[in-house]
Amino acid sequence: MNVIEHPPIFRLPGIPDHVTYTWVAMAILAITAFIASRHVELVPRGMQNFFEVMLEQFQQMIDDVIGPEGRRFLPLIATLGLFILVGNLMSLVPGVYGPTTNLNTTAACALVVFFSYHYIGIRKQGAVTYLAHFMGPVPLALKPLMFVIEIISHLARPLSLTLRLFGNMFGGHILLAIIFFLMGLDGLLGWALSGNPLGAVVGGIGGLVMIVFTVGFLYPLKILVSFLQAFIFVMLTMLYISGAIEEAEHHGGEHHPAHH
Amino acid sequence: MRRSPILAALAIFAVPGLAFAQAPAAAPSGGWVGPFAVLVAGFAMAFAAGLCALGQGKAVASAVDAMARQPGAAARIQTAMIIGLALIESLAIYVLVVAMILLFVQPIK
Repeated sequence: MNVIEHPPIFRLPGIPDHVTYTWVAMAILAITAFIASRHVELVPRGMQNFFEVMLEQFQQMIDDVIGPEGRRFLPLIATLGLFILVGNLMSLVPGVYGPTTNLNTTAACALVVFFSYHYIGIRKQGAVTYLAHFMGPVPLALKPLMFVIEIISHLARPLSLTLRLFGNMFGGHILLAIIFFLMGLDGLLGWALSGNPLGAVVGGIGGLVMIVFTVGFLYPLKILVSFLQAFIFVMLTMLYISGAIEEAEHHGGEHHPAHH
Repeated sequence: MRRSPILAALAIFAVPGLAFAQAPAAAPSGGWVGPFAVLVAGFAMAFAAGLCALGQGKAVASAVDAMARQPGAAARIQTAMIIGLALIESLAIYVLVVAMILLFVQPIK
C-alpha cells in the first residue's frame, strides 16, 4: 500500500497511525462538545445550536426505528455516529489518516454494536428467552437447524458492518490514490515527451483534467459516501437493537394470547 | 533519434507483459500466482460492480416508482431504500476487500 500512498504527515513513533488519528478524532469531538456545552442557554446559539440540531436528528431516527423506549440508547448511537462521521471526513484531508480507513477501527465499532445489542436483548428478555428466539416460529424438528442458521446470521452482522464501512472508506481512498498516481504518471509522460511541445500540452491538459475530475467529482462523492456510511452504520445499529428488543413482543403475542 | 522517447514510453508499457512472461524463469518461487492475482482482482471487481449495479438499479427503480405513487411515504421509502442499497452494496464491498487482499496483502505467493 505504501507504494502508491504517502504515509500521514504527523506520526507518533511506536504507535499505529489509526490509533493516533483515533485520538485526534476523539479530541475534535471532545473539544467541540466542550465548546457546545460551556454556556448552555435556553435559546441555543452557535455550537450549542449545531449540536442540538444534530442530536435531534439522531433522536428523530431513533424514534422512527426503535420507538420512544430507544431514547435510552441515544448516547451509544450518537457517539458511534459522530465518531464514524468525523473519522470518515478526516480521511478527506490530505496528509491526515482517516481512522475508519483501517480495518481495526471499524471492527472495534462493529464489535461494540454486536456486544451491546446482545446485552440489551438479554437484559430486556432474560438469557433463556432471548436465546429461544433464535429458533424462530418454525416446527420443532426444524428448530436446531434454524438456531444454527440464526447464529451464523448474527455472527455475520459484525463482519458485514466492519467490511462495509472499511471497504467504502478504503476503496475511496485507493481510488483517490490511484487518480493522483495517474496524475503523477501523466506529468512524467509529459516530461518524457518534452522534446516536442506536444508533450507539455498533453501533460498540462491531462493534469488539469485530473484535478477537475478529483475536486469536482471524487471529493463531493467521498463527502456524500462519508455521510451515507455513517448514516447506514447508525441505522443498522438501531435496527439490530430494535430487533433484540422487539422480538419478545411478537413471540409473546403468538404464544400467550390470553394475557393480552 | 526523435522517435526514441516515444519508443521508450512504449517500452515502459510493454515491460510488465514481458516481466510476467519471463516471471517463472526469473523468479523460481512460483511467480505465476502474482499476475493471476492481479487479473482475478480486476475481473472480480468488474463482475461484482456490474451485477451490483443491476441489483441496485432494480431496487432504486422500484423505490422511485413507489415514491412517485405515494409522495407522503417518501421519507420512509427512502430510508428503506438506503438500507437495502447498503446491504446489496456490501456484497460488492466484500469482493473489493478480497481484491485488495489479493493485490496488497498477497497471502499466496
